[in-house]
Amino acid sequence: MAYKRGLKREVDQPIFYQIRIKGHLGCLWVDWFEGLTITLEENGDTLLTGPVIDQSALHGLLRKVRDLGLPLLSVNSVGPNLQVNKPAPHE
Amino acid sequence: MATPVLATKLYIPPPPPKVVFRPRLIERLNEGLFAGRKLTLISAPAGFGKTTLVSEWIAGGDRKVAWLLLDDEDSDPTRFLTYLVAALRTVVPNIGAVVLDALQSLQPPPINPLITALLNEITTIPYHFILVLDEYHEIDSEPIDHALTFLIEHMPLQMHLVITTREDPALPIPRLRARGQLSELRAADLRFTLSEAAEFLNRMMGFDLSEENIAALESRTEGWIAGLQLAALSMRGHQDVPGFIRAFAGDNRYIVEYLVEEVLQRQPESVRSFLLQTSILVRLNGPLCDAVTGQTGGKARLEALQRGNFFLNPRDDKGYWYRYHNLFAEVLRVYLMAEQPNQVPALHRHASVWYQQNGLEADAIRHALSAEDFDRAADLIEGSLPAMRRSRQESTVLSWFQSLPDELLRFRPVLSVVYAHVLLASGEINGVETLLGNGERWLDTTPTMGVRRDAPADKMIVVDEETFRLLPGQIAIARAGLALARSDVAGTVTYARRALDLAPEDDHMTRGGAAGFLGLAFWTNGDLDAAHRMFADGMASLQMAGNIADAVNGSITLANIRITQGRLHEAMSTYERGLQLAREQGGLGVRGTADMYVGMSELHREYNDLDAAMQHLLRSKELGEHAGFPQNRYRWYVAMARLREAQGNLSNALDMLDEAERLYMSDFSPNVRPIAALKTRAWVAQGRLGEALDWAREQGLSVEDTPTYLREFELITLARILLARYRSNRSEGSLRDAIGLLERLLQAAEEGGRMGRAIEILILQALAHQALGDMPSALQPLGQALTLAEPEGYVRMFLDEGTSMAGLLREAAARGIVPDYTGKLLGAFKVEGQRSEGVSPTPDSQPLIEPLSQRELEILLLFKTELSGPEIARELVIALSTVRTHTKSIYSKLDVNNRRAAVKRAEELGLI
Repeated sequence: MAYKRGLKREVDQPIFYQIRIKGHLGCLWVDWFEGLTITLEENGDTLLTGPVIDQSALHGLLRKVRDLGLPLLSVNSVGPNLQVNKPAPHE
Repeated sequence: MATPVLATKLYIPPPPPKVVFRPRLIERLNEGLFAGRKLTLISAPAGFGKTTLVSEWIAGGDRKVAWLLLDDEDSDPTRFLTYLVAALRTVVPNIGAVVLDALQSLQPPPINPLITALLNEITTIPYHFILVLDEYHEIDSEPIDHALTFLIEHMPLQMHLVITTREDPALPIPRLRARGQLSELRAADLRFTLSEAAEFLNRMMGFDLSEENIAALESRTEGWIAGLQLAALSMRGHQDVPGFIRAFAGDNRYIVEYLVEEVLQRQPESVRSFLLQTSILVRLNGPLCDAVTGQTGGKARLEALQRGNFFLNPRDDKGYWYRYHNLFAEVLRVYLMAEQPNQVPALHRHASVWYQQNGLEADAIRHALSAEDFDRAADLIEGSLPAMRRSRQESTVLSWFQSLPDELLRFRPVLSVVYAHVLLASGEINGVETLLGNGERWLDTTPTMGVRRDAPADKMIVVDEETFRLLPGQIAIARAGLALARSDVAGTVTYARRALDLAPEDDHMTRGGAAGFLGLAFWTNGDLDAAHRMFADGMASLQMAGNIADAVNGSITLANIRITQGRLHEAMSTYERGLQLAREQGGLGVRGTADMYVGMSELHREYNDLDAAMQHLLRSKELGEHAGFPQNRYRWYVAMARLREAQGNLSNALDMLDEAERLYMSDFSPNVRPIAALKTRAWVAQGRLGEALDWAREQGLSVEDTPTYLREFELITLARILLARYRSNRSEGSLRDAIGLLERLLQAAEEGGRMGRAIEILILQALAHQALGDMPSALQPLGQALTLAEPEGYVRMFLDEGTSMAGLLREAAARGIVPDYTGKLLGAFKVEGQRSEGVSPTPDSQPLIEPLSQRELEILLLFKTELSGPEIARELVIALSTVRTHTKSIYSKLDVNNRRAAVKRAEELGLI
């Protein structure tokens, strides 16, 4: 059942994802990670958060992370409202 | 035309002039190599010095090395195989001719057979070599992953494979690891240790850094080599190096971004903008950089950058082509996008123009697509179609088409129709209709199909006028293919006929395809003469179009038709001509050769020349899988099963049929001799009537059925079952039913000119009447069968019916019916009787204390060929060690101690 529900959701709307990488990314990257909000954490991590239309778009994003040699710490799907109470985005 | 091969992709990068010597890693690589492990996997993120390490390692060794730098376009299997062969040719001249041939003629390429062909060639090389696949993470293709898995599993000892990648490839890594076949270096191994960092910074880069500073850099970068290199680049000429290190170490920013910014800041504007603008290029050379930047002096600039360690690596010996380190280029592109986003399309367009002017169409198209200049891309694509089609890079072409906007395609009839064909060839039917509509809306729909006068011709865009001329026929043939894909025989016929009407005389490809489609439709409907005529025409056209493999494939169909028509001699000459055609074309390696031998084997079996039949089957096997069409794998087992039956080995025949069933692969041909029906016949011969009747029930077969060509073979099988049942339980009603069915079958077969089938039906009629004790009624159809069969030399058709037939023939002989032939057949019966009295090779009674297993018999059979142990292993797709185990067991069961003796003994015992 859970599987089915997940599948349905994916078909209906993009899922919000939060990708955590090690190291801070500058404002240059806003266009590169199109549509994702870049948030810098105090511990030196960066969060990329935003809607990802489907699995292949997600893998495309992860590939970008891979090709930059950025250490990937976690990937989570998050509710859309979660990104509202984020820390102040990158300047 | 073959895929153009870029030498830059095969260039073995020399180790950089200043390189940290890494004995601990070199030693591990050597260990893996000399321990005979198959694969060295170097898997780590970007910037860990993977390529540098491999180039350092191989430069210090004495093995020959083939190098292939992969890029994302290599996910096209045809392109990948072309480059694989090109790379191997740098160490093994002329290897892979068969593979390149096959890539020309077959789409999609049968990857594993082609890999097998390469491996067979490699087995004969008298030296060891290493193949490096650099940047394997670029490959995103399941067929290629599978091919590589197959290659690794069957790799000869001469070869060692090295893969560098940023992510673990989809290969059976755990299995290789568990078997000790993998040598592996990962990020943790590759990081610079503190002392390596010190050596790099102080000795190589000429700094004089304190231990503390080195430790700070090492810790900030965590030994990441690209980070340390960039740091060195940033520190060069810095006034306050310790200050720089403090700032860098205390910053959280992504290392490359931080350092590239440092580096860029310190460059004069001209260098900075050169770096950013040329970052869009996958490969760089002076003139190309000049074209992109609109400046001059690109060549000198590149040389200076390389000297200055700007992550620019040479890609040839001449200092012409270069390539940025990916990581560096990636970050430069980010800066470019952030700083000059509007300029990016123009840069790509400049690159596209340069590539076009220099005859590198594929690169020109790639940059036009990146520029989102779709009109330009569409023009270039259309212009390069003839060449691309010849080089068979369909998946590359498909990805281009997929990048073009639908709206643009509406005005480009040629592109639309070719796109439709590419989709159909890849088995995709969605969208085909729309694309054909795009083509048709510019054409008159009257039978002449000229350009419509009222069409807004100023809007239509055609680059390839030659193809445009052929469009009406090509649209029709695409529709025929679409209909066939939907199993719509009538539609296939309609459109194939239209294609023949519309295609000009010189469009051999379309005409050949259309004739082939029509032939298939006639064949399916049982109109064999028409089918034969069509196929023969189609083959001639395909041959003229240079499509030899398909023409050879047509021989199988033509011969099958002739056999059904009872014209065995013509069938034999058809196979001989097919073989000849293949030979003229490029030796025995050409696809279809193996199929011809299987077909000829079946004819020899019918002539009762069982030795020749066996020789032909073995010959077919020897040629290897790449010499056969995919269907040949199951056809081989069917032919072998029939041969086993003729040898009286029914249970082995059934094993072979099981194997055939497992390997069965449909093509567009109607399945007029189903394997299940052949199995049922073998059951009948074994007396397993219950199973045979179950089969007839499952198939819904009934004596009331109207005979159609497609079910003819099954209905004849049903009649056989009923005859056998009568013999066992004397149920007369069902035999009478069978006789009625046979009568109707005979009429249908005669009307369709299927005399091969008619002979069999007449024989069954004779046997049925004989069973009822009505000799005059039996002799009448027998006489007809003999008269029809004599000129074509049938033997097994009669012999396979066993003692009842011998009895009938004696009666016929006594009455002087077709006397010569009858006498000859009775002679064959006599020989057969003597043979079976000698040793009975029935499976169930092998004259051995411990009978040979099915696998052992197969291996024994391959012992008769010239195949070596490793080749046998590859042929049967089992491990060499397994072959050895079976071999030992065969020797012990046969009480021999070598291969030759095993074959001799097995032949004496009638086992093979």
